[in-house]
Amino acid sequence: MKGRAVDIRAAAIAAGRRRGRALRLLAYLAIFGAVLWSVQVIMIADTDWARLAASSAGKTLKSFLEFDYRLLPELVDPTIDTALMATLATLAGLLLALPVAWLGAANISPLGRSSYVVGRFLMTVSRSVHEIVWGLIFVSAVGLGALAGVLAMGVRSVGFISKIIAEAIEDVQPGPIEAIRAVGGTRLQVLFYGILPQIVPVVLGTMIFEWDINIRRSTIMGLVGAGGLGLVFFRQMAMLNYGGVATVILAVLCLIILGEIVSYYARKAVI
Amino acid sequence: MTVALEVRNLRAGYAGREILKGVSFQVEADDFFAIIGPSGAGKSTLIRCVNRLVEPTGGQVLFHGVDLLSLDQARLREARRNIGMIFQEFNLIERLSVMDNVLTGRLGYTGTLRSLMRMFTAEDISQALALLDRVGLGEYVDKRADRLSGGQRQRVGIARALIQNPRLLLVDEPTSSLDPKISREVMALIREIAREFHVPVLCNIHDVELATEFCTHVIGLQDGVKKFEGRPGELDAQALQEIYSMEVL
Repeated sequence: MKGRAVDIRAAAIAAGRRRGRALRLLAYLAIFGAVLWSVQVIMIADTDWARLAASSAGKTLKSFLEFDYRLLPELVDPTIDTALMATLATLAGLLLALPVAWLGAANISPLGRSSYVVGRFLMTVSRSVHEIVWGLIFVSAVGLGALAGVLAMGVRSVGFISKIIAEAIEDVQPGPIEAIRAVGGTRLQVLFYGILPQIVPVVLGTMIFEWDINIRRSTIMGLVGAGGLGLVFFRQMAMLNYGGVATVILAVLCLIILGEIVSYYARKAVI
Repeated sequence: MTVALEVRNLRAGYAGREILKGVSFQVEADDFFAIIGPSGAGKSTLIRCVNRLVEPTGGQVLFHGVDLLSLDQARLREARRNIGMIFQEFNLIERLSVMDNVLTGRLGYTGTLRSLMRMFTAEDISQALALLDRVGLGEYVDKRADRLSGGQRQRVGIARALIQNPRLLLVDEPTSSLDPKISREVMALIREIAREFHVPVLCNIHDVELATEFCTHVIGLQDGVKKFEGRPGELDAQALQEIYSMEVL
């Protein structure tokens, strides 16, 4: 009798699982259908196939592969500029991000809910404006050159760094904070002894990651006249010197690989 | 009595540090072995060497006569299907339901594709249900594992081990994350189930009192060396002194 009751319940569970599976399958099919539809609308219908067939797409692509090595000596300075811009921008971003994170961490926000909202709003502003747009803004404010690029990337970095730091602050273990409060520590002491040591790995890890991203960003800051490799890139593009463009891309690649290597060791040393 | 598990001169270590320095013992069909000893004695490593979650550096682990250390990956997986494991931190898959957690115990018998679709056989499901009833969680089938209390989670862990129809249970500090009352209940459940299913048990436990109460044999480990083996009744003050001398120092 008892065995039979178990069997009935088991059958009900098995039926429920089959329904769940069918629903999941349906959802996958719907997603797949949506993807197919998107491909049809934005790729198949929207591409001028006749022009693509008549044009010299292959030849143009090939001309990118004919690297223009005469450009190399001229790339040294811009490459260094780019790396320095990224470094400065990351540090500026961190400096700006710390107070924003302090505001935007729900558990320590100084004025509670209201300052929390301000902090989160600042994060969103920083992230929702593209670095090129920040670049345009700062170029008009401080003129052409690397300074505008550094400011643009610095402001753009704030959103990500402060968001990650704020979330790390919200996730800290309450134990150490309790301990510092129990010995009679002030709010600032709680911040420095209870919270900061816990988030140091996250802060440093995020900075290394953001630096990595900023190297990439700084290569395109030239688009708005903010110096570095990007400037050379867009000059070559304007001259239709595809080989030169490819050479600049090569330089960017080298710089990013270098950045990758540096951040690997920095991460190991720090965390 | 048939020998279920025979460990011979087992050695393990890493980074030049020896954790197990040649440990030997035999577990027979209905034995409930407790491994006691101070922290860092190698209890956890010993248990994990049996199913090779930790790779030993020497010795033999004979499981029903087959040396597990000689098996290739595919055969090791086959052998692991017959060895259930219960963990200190339960190691449930938090975001899955209780039912799915128990069913993971059948993964060794479920094809990869079927398991990706979470397609378990009707027999598996009814066995899972019967086991959940047995450990007292019949009402919690659809609950997510992270909604349960510690004691309940450990019961899910026990059901997951049992659905493997194991021929050996490895139990790693089953009570360290539980309060004293729940600890006794969980130990009692493991003992009952071991008798019911005729599974020998190898259980790490730092709590000497629980070890002597629930187990049939005790092994005392200190610094990777077996310092004591015998019945719980033989574990006198002198034996304890021997096992825990490091801590006394």
